[in-house]
Amino acid sequence: MPSRKSLALPTTKSIASSVKKHAGQVKKIQTLRHGEAETVREAEYRGHHIVVRTRYDIEVDGRMVMGHMGVTNDGKVHYHPVPNMAFVSAIDMVKKLIDVFPDDFSSTGMGRKAGRKKKKARMAHRYK
Amino acid sequence: MAITRANILTNTVARQQYIQGVTLLKNEFTGPTTSSLGIAGPSRQVSTYDLFVVWHHTAMLTMTPPTQGDRNAAHRGPVFCPWHRFMLRQLELNLQRVLNDNAFGLPYWDWAADGQKTAAQQKTSAIWAANALGGSGHPVKTGPFKFNATDPNSFRVRIEADVNGQLVQRDHGLRRTLGTQISTLPTKTDTSSLLTLTPYDAAPWDTSSSGFRNRAEGWAPPAAPALHNRVHVWVGGDMLPSSSPNDPVFYLNHCNVDRIWEAWLTRQGRTYLPLQTAPASLRGHRINDQMSSLISPPTRPSDVLDMRSIYVYDSLAV
Repeated sequence: MPSRKSLALPTTKSIASSVKKHAGQVKKIQTLRHGEAETVREAEYRGHHIVVRTRYDIEVDGRMVMGHMGVTNDGKVHYHPVPNMAFVSAIDMVKKLIDVFPDDFSSTGMGRKAGRKKKKARMAHRYK
Repeated sequence: MAITRANILTNTVARQQYIQGVTLLKNEFTGPTTSSLGIAGPSRQVSTYDLFVVWHHTAMLTMTPPTQGDRNAAHRGPVFCPWHRFMLRQLELNLQRVLNDNAFGLPYWDWAADGQKTAAQQKTSAIWAANALGGSGHPVKTGPFKFNATDPNSFRVRIEADVNGQLVQRDHGLRRTLGTQISTLPTKTDTSSLLTLTPYDAAPWDTSSSGFRNRAEGWAPPAAPALHNRVHVWVGGDMLPSSSPNDPVFYLNHCNVDRIWEAWLTRQGRTYLPLQTAPASLRGHRINDQMSSLISPPTRPSDVLDMRSIYVYDSLAV
């Protein structure tokens, strides 16, 4: 039987109260940044423990892409902000991100030159 | 007495009530603000409808457990079916509240019926008519959710996920690109074949698992994205990011997934895996683990395996 408390008819007051109680989890997610994240895949084979660490560092027009990315044991990559798709290559995935998030990329793109310029500026800043 | 969830294309009353209720929830503000939820920009009230968007996105970005990067609190693992059932029921309760109708049942879209048509016919199915959900567009230009920039009451996307997986404030009309990302919907062969799959889920409890859940979610063959995932991708636009509940068709898709799960439960028995004896590495997906919540107290998969005293479907023919 369903839990009566969780499935009871809500009120505007109960919604406000519940959101207040759970807001910490939303805030925590909002602070996560996954750029340059490492994905760890593990498997067991004939008594051996396999660990494969993969590090992706993705830029578009010199700007880092910071969402949560993963690699499954069959080698496909996925990106949690685009939850219904998996890709055979990270390049295909990033192309799809440009389609799915039109507000985050200019319609014409800044191209390789702008990307290099931004990267150069970032490296200069890093070693100041 | 249990309420009945009906096919949105055959039950005009349910369709009109759904559209009316969504519009009411989109314009109801109970207190939470963008700043109270850590969403950057000026502090604005978040509507009850948009709180569901926030909830879905948060569950999607909550890894369960946090030591791995595949399963999250609502997807890519066993909890996919029960968590969405919990979310649908919360929306249904809130629609009942604003419609002042405790007999209202959330309608479903039998997308596999449309999947039997040609690719061109699928894009002009009755669900995309102006008297139903409206059609394709960037933004949508027909139907109850069409965008009019000069009308402050026009349906707007106010909160969505950006490319970095952060919730951001926006102000644009609903976007759909029907049949563009992928040309066809799942078919009746795809849905009916789900019912014979056992068990519900299996090790390694992820997107490579055999069993009902992984196939229904859409990671397994015949062709990924399949079934539930394929519907998201076929609709496109705002149905693609983790903020996909921005499109009211999100709930019609998931209500059909829930109907398919109910057909499976009826046929195979009200069973769920993994059990609570499973290791902590499956925390968040075991039968008595608390599921991610935002607008109500949490619940557990075991609480939602039998909902027949609350709702039934007008048909379990999938």
